[in-house]
Amino acid sequence: MNTANDVEIADRMSRRRAIVVGLAAVAFIAFQFVDNPFFIVSDPGTQRAVIRRVLWAAYTGALLLGLATGGGLLDRRVRVLVDDEVSRGHYRTASTAGFWIAMATGMLIYLYGGYDLYTGQQAIYLVVTPAVAAALLVFAYLEMRALRSG
Amino acid sequence: MADQLRNRLREERARRSLTQAELAVLVGVSRKTINTVENGVFVPSTVLALQLARALGTTVEELFQLAG
Repeated sequence: MNTANDVEIADRMSRRRAIVVGLAAVAFIAFQFVDNPFFIVSDPGTQRAVIRRVLWAAYTGALLLGLATGGGLLDRRVRVLVDDEVSRGHYRTASTAGFWIAMATGMLIYLYGGYDLYTGQQAIYLVVTPAVAAALLVFAYLEMRALRSG
Repeated sequence: MADQLRNRLREERARRSLTQAELAVLVGVSRKTINTVENGVFVPSTVLALQLARALGTTVEELFQLAG
């Protein structure tokens, strides 16, 4: 049985999660432009690029894990409220948005990228980055909209 | 799909002098869920619709109607 306190905590956690997800998405996008924009594409062989490639993979993995698991809230009663059917619907919508962004980017690379312009790794980077960012931004937006008082 | 469904959740809740948070506790969902259903942003599952109706002492048909 949930209490008023559980509902209040869930409300607060949902709001905090939406803000964190939105900020993480903005930081993720900004990260791509810092130092050497689209580093993987322009400078794949250097040690610096290798480090950033690992950082990108870790960051992307963490974001996807956070999105898929709801952020790993510990208290099960609160977690059930935070990840209720509305949030699960938002997760599905966000995943769908990410999927279509990936498809569109992939098609653009295929049509306009030329045969040997990008390596497989570079193409994956170009497809995954906007898709992950879009999924996170859509999720954050939908959650914030749902939390707005009506 | 949300535009095909009208609901009287806000009116029924107000009639019982319940806040969104209080109804959320009764149903066992978050306030966010109550808010999105009331505003027609989210179409609830059958289970949730039945839970809402039971918590408000009414029927699903009273709470939700097809638009048009």
